[in-house]
This record gives sequence, structure tokens and C-alpha cells, in this order.
Amino acid sequence: MANEDLIYRLTKAVYGRLGAATDEQTVEQLVTEVYREIEPFVSQNGSAYSTSQLPSATATATAAAAGEGSADRLIISVFGVDHPGIVAGVAKILAEADCSIVDINQTVVQGKFAMVIIANSARARESAAELKERLRREGEALGVRIYAQREDLFNAMHRI
Amino acid sequence: MEYSQSEILQTVAMTEMEHLDVRTVTLGLSLRDCASESMGRTTERVLAKIHRYADRLVETVDAIGDEFGIRIANKRIAITPVSMITESASGDPVELARAIDRAAAEVGVDFIGGYSALVHKGATDSEREFLDSIPEALSTTKRLCSSVNVATTRAGINMDAVRQVGIIIKEAAERTSSEGGLACAKFVCFANSVEDNPFMAGAFHGVGEPEAVINVGVSGPGVVNYAMKRAARDLPLQEVAEIIKKLSFKLSRAGELVGREAARRLGIPFGIIDLSLAPTPVPGDSVANILEAMGFERAGTHGTTAALALLTDAVKKGGAMASGSVGGMSGAFIPVSEDAGMIEAAQLGALSLDKLEAWTSVCSVGIDMVAVPGSTSAETISAIIADEMAIGVMNNKTTAVRIIPVPGRQVGELVEFGGLLGSAPIMAVNAFSSADFIRRGGRIPAPIHSLRN
Repeated sequence: MANEDLIYRLTKAVYGRLGAATDEQTVEQLVTEVYREIEPFVSQNGSAYSTSQLPSATATATAAAAGEGSADRLIISVFGVDHPGIVAGVAKILAEADCSIVDINQTVVQGKFAMVIIANSARARESAAELKERLRREGEALGVRIYAQREDLFNAMHRI
Repeated sequence: MEYSQSEILQTVAMTEMEHLDVRTVTLGLSLRDCASESMGRTTERVLAKIHRYADRLVETVDAIGDEFGIRIANKRIAITPVSMITESASGDPVELARAIDRAAAEVGVDFIGGYSALVHKGATDSEREFLDSIPEALSTTKRLCSSVNVATTRAGINMDAVRQVGIIIKEAAERTSSEGGLACAKFVCFANSVEDNPFMAGAFHGVGEPEAVINVGVSGPGVVNYAMKRAARDLPLQEVAEIIKKLSFKLSRAGELVGREAARRLGIPFGIIDLSLAPTPVPGDSVANILEAMGFERAGTHGTTAALALLTDAVKKGGAMASGSVGGMSGAFIPVSEDAGMIEAAQLGALSLDKLEAWTSVCSVGIDMVAVPGSTSAETISAIIADEMAIGVMNNKTTAVRIIPVPGRQVGELVEFGGLLGSAPIMAVNAFSSADFIRRGGRIPAPIHSLRN
């Protein structure tokens, strides 16, 4: 079942790259050759192959779209009155904790500061509780409110 | 960004400002293998088992709450109905009750439910003795909760048990008269009780349940309340239902995530998520306020039964779409003493016991945390229960009564229970007697729609 799915997706990727007018036989040959190359890897892992390791842009996109949010990612939201140093203060804590910033979005509307950071804490040196506590204290020092919540919560609530 | 600003804001607002919380993570635990011929031996086995399964419960669940940024208000345990495991043991079940209460304190849970009996068609000799022990068990423990199922749609209403429960409630109130009859707040009488209910005081671990299970109760009247207040005053009702449905979908998804994570870390199977709008005394976290926001001057006035029906149904629909594991009660709770809006409505005379009874035909449970004058007779309490059981039995739904005849108090006074139990205005009961009806005893036969095979 998984293999058929893989072949389908390979075919789709090839068509996507070469256009719908491409010769059917060429596509079939190409897909068969690519599939033979990766087949040992696929069977090694049984049906649960990892899509992220396939050399296809569509496969990576599919993995992201079908993602269930990550327990290793934190969504950090910061709200308060704008002043210099808020981004730096939060970023410093993340850097010290060995958390990388995956995405960041910051705006100021009528003097109100709002920032959302998606951070990867997979290699974090501190526990989630310790990190949250540090962010909370930093928030107090900066005069803003900082919330840190696991990403999979947002995924559960806002994605089906 | 993978999530829009408004999505992130909504979640943060719900968890931080609008009182979205996981009301309880409840460990269901079978104690059937703890039965023995002596109460002492049974007690030893029960304590060992509670500790084996629950020692890590509180610490694990708290850590999860911290990671998700969702408050997990209570950690609780539901056990096999104690009447079943003491059936063949000689000795006083109150001894076991006190030991369970101590174990609950040691593992750090706030309530442990299941000092219970299922007597909807009849009681065994041992169960009759067990029922007699309930007032003493509740008045000498702090965290133990008790429930008795006296009716089902399939069996009808065991009116002998209904009569006895009236007496139990009176005695439990008398024994705790210095605390306003507090023991009654830990006792609930059911029709069609639910085996996987995570909420207290009615939680017990049903006989069809596995060895151990994690059930989760999610709540969020505050979230719905704030959304209703933001909605246009002239929004048609089907659109009001749509708002509630979507919110309850999100609440349920959040709850299931937390529950599954807790189950995974504890190595215990996940059972169900129960999305019930369960109010707390905190301002804004009120089911009454939701009803009022739909367009009423006060909860309890004409039309509020219809509004509550809409609310309960929308909550159930949102929950059912969100998770394949929705169970328990799932709907709206209407505990008077725990809901600031209801307390106010009762004090103003907008909300009466009769209206509460009408509400229970469309909400998820029943007459809950209602205080009545201490002079109310056991027969009148039994009659209130009988009415409620009839609503449950005839409508194929769970109904319950948690009522407190507060010793020495009169209509209009307010009695403080403290904490989550809140404060209850004493509500009036009908002054005319139902005693002869209750004294008949026997059984109200199961309705015609019990014959479904």
C-alpha cells in the first residue's frame, strides 16, 4: 500500500516538474528507475518510510502539511507596550538555552507590541518548565507578557 | 508563519484570559483484584494499588500543563465501586473509606470517587449495609466522594433505594452540620450513571472499564461566555450554535492532546475526553452568564431551557467532531453554588428549583449543588430525586441530584463551602408533603422504550 502511494507521488512530482504534456512512457520509465534506486531503503524501513528523506520537494511539503505539530517546538507570544530591546531580550534567552528560532513575526500597532516566535527546543539544555520560568522573569523585567506553549496545542486547535 | 496571528491570539486568550482549563485528569483504576475475605487485607491491597498507579500522577500531569500552558485544575482518581470489592469482606467498610482517603492525600489528588453502589434494580444484603455506611464515611473523610445509581432506562427506578438515599443525605448533612452539611457536596445520586465520567462527585471506575485508564474533563464556560459577549446581539440562533460548536471543537482538541500526552507518559491507556462546560466561582466562568449573554435579563427566566438545550447540543456536536473518544457527560453542568451567575439569579428569585429541574431535561446532568433548608424532610429529598430520576429514565439520559439540606438554615441565607464548591443560596422547596408516595417503596417499572431488542 505504502509503495503504491510512493509511486503515485513520484509520478505526480515528475509531472509537476515536466508538465502535463510530457510523454507518458518517459514518465513511467523515470518513475520506475527512481523507485528502483530507493526501493532498498523503502523496504528496509517497512511501510513506515520517512517522507522527509525522499528527494522530492512535494514530499517535503506533504510532510509539513500533514504534520501534527511538534512537541519540540514552542510558540512564544509576547505582548505589551513597545520599547527597544524586547526582541533582543527574548532572543537572548532562546540563544542561551540553545533553542533555534524557526519563524518570527513582530508588529507594533499604535504603540502596542506583539510578537510570535516559533522556536525549536529539540536541543534545548533546559526543561520546558525552566525555560518558561526564565521567559516569565524576562517578561517582568521588560514589562511585557510572555507566554510559551507547545506547538502541537495550536495544531490541535486550529488544524484538522 | 504556519499559524496566523489571530489563531495564536485566540489560543493565548483562551488559556490565559478566558479560563480555558483542563478541569480534571482522572485516573480510573480497577480495584476488583483487591477483594478479599477481610477488610484489613482488602484495605492493604487497595492502598498498594493506588500508590502503584497514582504516585506519579500529579507530578506528571502538572509538568504537561506547564508545557502546553494550559491549567490542569484537578488531578483525581476514580475507583471501582467500593460496594463491589467489600461484598465478601467481613468488617466495617468505613475503615476502608478512611484508608482510601489517606491514600488520596498521600498521592496528592484532590478527590477520589467511587465509594459507590449500583442498585438501580435492587440491592444485595451487603449493598444495603454499604449504603448505611455512606454518611459516616463521608463525614469522616475529606477527599472521598460517593455516588449511588438508583435508576436506569433499562431497569426503571428503584424507589426503595431512592427512599434510602433521602435518609442518607439527611444523615450526612446532620453529621457535618458545623460545616453547612458539607458531606452532601461529596455525594451524588444518579439515573443512568456513566462508567467513564471524570468529574466529581460522581466519578467511579465502571465494571466495563479496563485495569486503568486516563479520562480527561475539559471545561471552558469562560471561553464560550466571552465569545457570546463579543457576538452581535441580533445574531440568529443557528449562528450562535455555530459559534459554540466551533469553540467546543477547539476546546476538545486541546483536551484530547493533553489527555493523550498524560496517558502516554504514565503508560496507561487513554479513555475518553469529556467536554463539559463546568462553571467555577471565578467571575466570567459561568454557564448562567452564557445563557444571559444569549439575550436574557437573568438565568432562570422563561426561555432559558431552550437556550440551555441549544448550548448543550452545540457543545456535544463540536466535541463529537473533534475527537473519536468523546464520552462521560459532555454538555453543560449547572451546579448552583459553583456558578456566580446562578447564585445571583437564585438570590434575585429568577432561578427556582423547579426551573433547575426543567433545565436538567436538556443539560448534561442534573440538579447539582443546590442547598435547601435544613428542615426539608428526607421524604421530600427522595421525592426531588424521584422526579429527577424519572427525567433521566424516560429521556434515556444521565440525570443526577447533589443536594444539601443545610442544618439550621432558612431560605434566602447563603452558605459557604469554600474553594471550588463555592457558596450556595438556600433555595425553597415545595412545602406540601410527598411522604406517602415515597413510603410506598418498590420499583417504578422501566419505560416502554427500554424494550429495544
